[in-house]
Amino acid sequence: MAALAAALTLAVTHSIERRYERAFAFRIARTTAAYIAAVTPPPPPPPPPVRRRGRIRRPQAPITPVPQSPASRSYHLPSLLTQARGLRTLPGWTTEVEVYYGTAPLVDATAPPLSPDDLLLLDSAGGRWREGSALVPLKDRDGREIVGAVAARPLRVPTGPLPGGLGFAFPAAVLAVAGAAGIAFRGRSLRRGGYVGAALLLAVASYADVRAVARSSTNRWLTDTRRLLQEAATRLPPPRSRVSVSDLAALVQDGELVGGEPAESAPWRARVGGAPRAIVAILIGSGRWVDLRTVPAEITTPHWLLLLLPSALVGPFGILLLRWAERTPARKRRETVIAWGFLAPAGLHLLVFTLGPAAFAVYLVLPLANFRAVVHDPLTWLSIRNTALYALYVPVSVVIALGAALVVHRFRVGWGGRLLRSALLLPYVTSVVTIALVWQLIDQTGTLGLGRSGWLSSPATALPALMLLALYAQVGGQTLVFLAGLERIPRAYVDAARVDGASAWRRFWRITLPLLRPMTWFVVLSGLLSAFQVFTIVFVLTQGGPGMLVQRVYQLGWGGAGGAGGAGGAGGGGGSQAFGMASAFAILLCLALVLFSWPRLKLLGRDARHA
Amino acid sequence: MASVTLRGLSKVFDGGVQALHHLDLEVRDGELLVLLGPSGSGKTTVLRCIAGLEEPTAGEVVIGERVVTHDSPAERDVAMVFQSHALYPHLTVRENIAFPLEMRGLAHAQAARRVLETATRLGLQSALDRLPSQLSEGERQRAALGRAIVRGPQVFLLDEPLARLDAPLRVEVRAEVLALHRGLAATMIYVTHDQAEAMTMGQRIAVLHEGRLRQVGTPEEVYQRPADVHVARFFGTPGMNVLQGRGRAGDKGRVIEAGSLVIPVELSTYDGEMQLGIRPEYVGLCAVDQGVGNVDVLVVEPLGSETLVHLNAGGQPLVARLPGFADVRVGTRVGVKVDRRRLYLFDAAGAPLA
Repeated sequence: MAALAAALTLAVTHSIERRYERAFAFRIARTTAAYIAAVTPPPPPPPPPVRRRGRIRRPQAPITPVPQSPASRSYHLPSLLTQARGLRTLPGWTTEVEVYYGTAPLVDATAPPLSPDDLLLLDSAGGRWREGSALVPLKDRDGREIVGAVAARPLRVPTGPLPGGLGFAFPAAVLAVAGAAGIAFRGRSLRRGGYVGAALLLAVASYADVRAVARSSTNRWLTDTRRLLQEAATRLPPPRSRVSVSDLAALVQDGELVGGEPAESAPWRARVGGAPRAIVAILIGSGRWVDLRTVPAEITTPHWLLLLLPSALVGPFGILLLRWAERTPARKRRETVIAWGFLAPAGLHLLVFTLGPAAFAVYLVLPLANFRAVVHDPLTWLSIRNTALYALYVPVSVVIALGAALVVHRFRVGWGGRLLRSALLLPYVTSVVTIALVWQLIDQTGTLGLGRSGWLSSPATALPALMLLALYAQVGGQTLVFLAGLERIPRAYVDAARVDGASAWRRFWRITLPLLRPMTWFVVLSGLLSAFQVFTIVFVLTQGGPGMLVQRVYQLGWGGAGGAGGAGGAGGGGGSQAFGMASAFAILLCLALVLFSWPRLKLLGRDARHA
Repeated sequence: MASVTLRGLSKVFDGGVQALHHLDLEVRDGELLVLLGPSGSGKTTVLRCIAGLEEPTAGEVVIGERVVTHDSPAERDVAMVFQSHALYPHLTVRENIAFPLEMRGLAHAQAARRVLETATRLGLQSALDRLPSQLSEGERQRAALGRAIVRGPQVFLLDEPLARLDAPLRVEVRAEVLALHRGLAATMIYVTHDQAEAMTMGQRIAVLHEGRLRQVGTPEEVYQRPADVHVARFFGTPGMNVLQGRGRAGDKGRVIEAGSLVIPVELSTYDGEMQLGIRPEYVGLCAVDQGVGNVDVLVVEPLGSETLVHLNAGGQPLVARLPGFADVRVGTRVGVKVDRRRLYLFDAAGAPLA
């Protein structure tokens, strides 16, 4: 079990490391392709066709199946060969590169050629993993047609303290397995923590490995690109006598090139404008330095912990499970397994559709600057104010619902009560969207002889109109809860109060209302919660009229429907920054709601104990 | 304190079920009257009519000198203890007991003093600040009694207050109720379906059956001279044997044939269908053909001090109650003796004949 878990963790670690290495290989291959495209001169103009009498000699068809491309956009083959071979000789170069012209390998001429299919696939995919190396297309000088390919095979970089570069994870895994074996053979309790500790150590070690690989992949790209750029600075074909920074910057699409200071050749990390960057300084001419910056790959490593921790803990968990199965009587074991079986579909649903997105939101929000942006956004406070005002309808609707429930309960046997109950429930069971659309119709066209009110479109009246609609839609459900509560109160309590001399008014205040307290709490708090999450009716009725909290999340995320809430500002951005901010907003909202529900859970628990 | 008089009380519920048929009953001032009847006999409805929780369809309710038929419960000055004790679950014992005083606007200090008095009387001092859910079943019932007595009402109505208690606790609380009645000299109407409880508690017992009052009398009267066959069957553990029989002239005077039994009786005029009642303790067993008839033994229940023997007398059930452990085998045939002085004769409709 423990060995299995350790192996699983190692495998996960390995595959994550491969991921980073592949990403590196693709990056360096792309950069190389761009470099080669930039430094290789076009072929010399073909000799003018010599006219001989009687026949015309056509240029012979090329041996390799070069795609039909105007000659001026292609490359001078001997130069290409030189450039490609030259890559191998760059000092400090860490990657094995192969350049194909057409399907023919140039660097290692005896290597097997590509198949024409490989080139075709490259055209559609823009890069693929083939036989342990990253294969990216080599375009012609105008970047239109594919004339060849660049393959990059990353060399493994040793990590970890042990000789042989086995990393931290492997020794940690050995430790963990040994710990588990110790427990198994000496019958020690898991509670001693040795094995759990080892498993945690394994998780941390594998994380360290992953981080190291990610870091080194960025560093290697920086150093290799540095070499390329230095080469490019001297080799860019004439007439450029003095290389401009922007020419070089065109070679590195996933990094930025800015003027810099002299520095060591090793890459370093720094924050630029609040965001972490990996930087290397490059000398591109006499006394001319530039900084090559890129997003360090290791900032994406923390989310792999989500995978590494569970897989490392599979071992202890499995052993706990086995222990439990040993100790527990067969019947209880069976019942527990069945119970979890019944819970599994709901649990899976919860995991995939609730916890998963929530975790993803947390991941998106990781640059904590998002929170600052949300707090400093005036629209945040406006939406909080609007939503709080909107939530004021809840107490009103609760009072109305309680009154209605008392009336329906009083006349529950007659047809009048049944009619009233149906009338109250109808809006509750109807879709909110339907109700909203009907109201909109009344509002805009003035059905029912009410005249065209236009309440929903006026900023002054839109909020009260929304509150009225929400009240109309919610009161039925609240009445239903109160009715259920009233039915639950034993008649003996009310009888006893009558005999004790309590008037109807005092019976209500002293007996009925206190006994309805769990329902009242439930109705008030769930009403407030749903008020704070209001989205549907605002969206349908006013297309984002009074800016509500959830509307704001939606606006931030999709930059949609600014409406009266006022788009622009921070909301208009779109892209991942906007998603991060939306996530930050959503998380703050979620925390507020949890704080809000806390008393409800506690109170319900207490009342349940006393009931 | 006051008497309670019911005159021609009838109650028909929505849906047409007639719960009470023209009931006349007088409960004397300071009396403990037990209202006894099987489930569904209407005894709780009587109590609720007296309390004012139900309005009678016809007839009137008089408490003391006042006709209160249409008064609200608050105006009647009665107190009621419910079978479910009905303590308000969100109030402490103290608040529960104080509730009737508070509703009547009694000054706070005075109310607090009376609550304490009542609690002391019932031994509830230590439970005063607990909620009903934190009490034992016995304490709950005592708290419910406390809520009833604290106000000193004219009439107490108790609706099966002991039904939820287990047997030893029931005996204990029963004694407490009796002591309470003596101490308060209050008019009490006590509803139960347990005839043993009725016998031990009631100064008088009113037997209700299918919404009709069958008999009112002391426990001895009701036991010795049941007003009809229902009352006869209802009293005693087990109840009286009632055999369907037929009176006719026999060899030595008149006899009643009931199943396999032929019992000589001193009855000069009656012929035809009738019902013969005899209590189990007056049925004896003897050798075959030595008694008034032969029967089969179905079940033997040894109870220590006595043995109940269930018999089949020609298709009709008969129970004999024998002292100590009786040596009777199931499945055998035995003879039956009866004490002829202890026979009850009813006509076919159940009315007594003698």
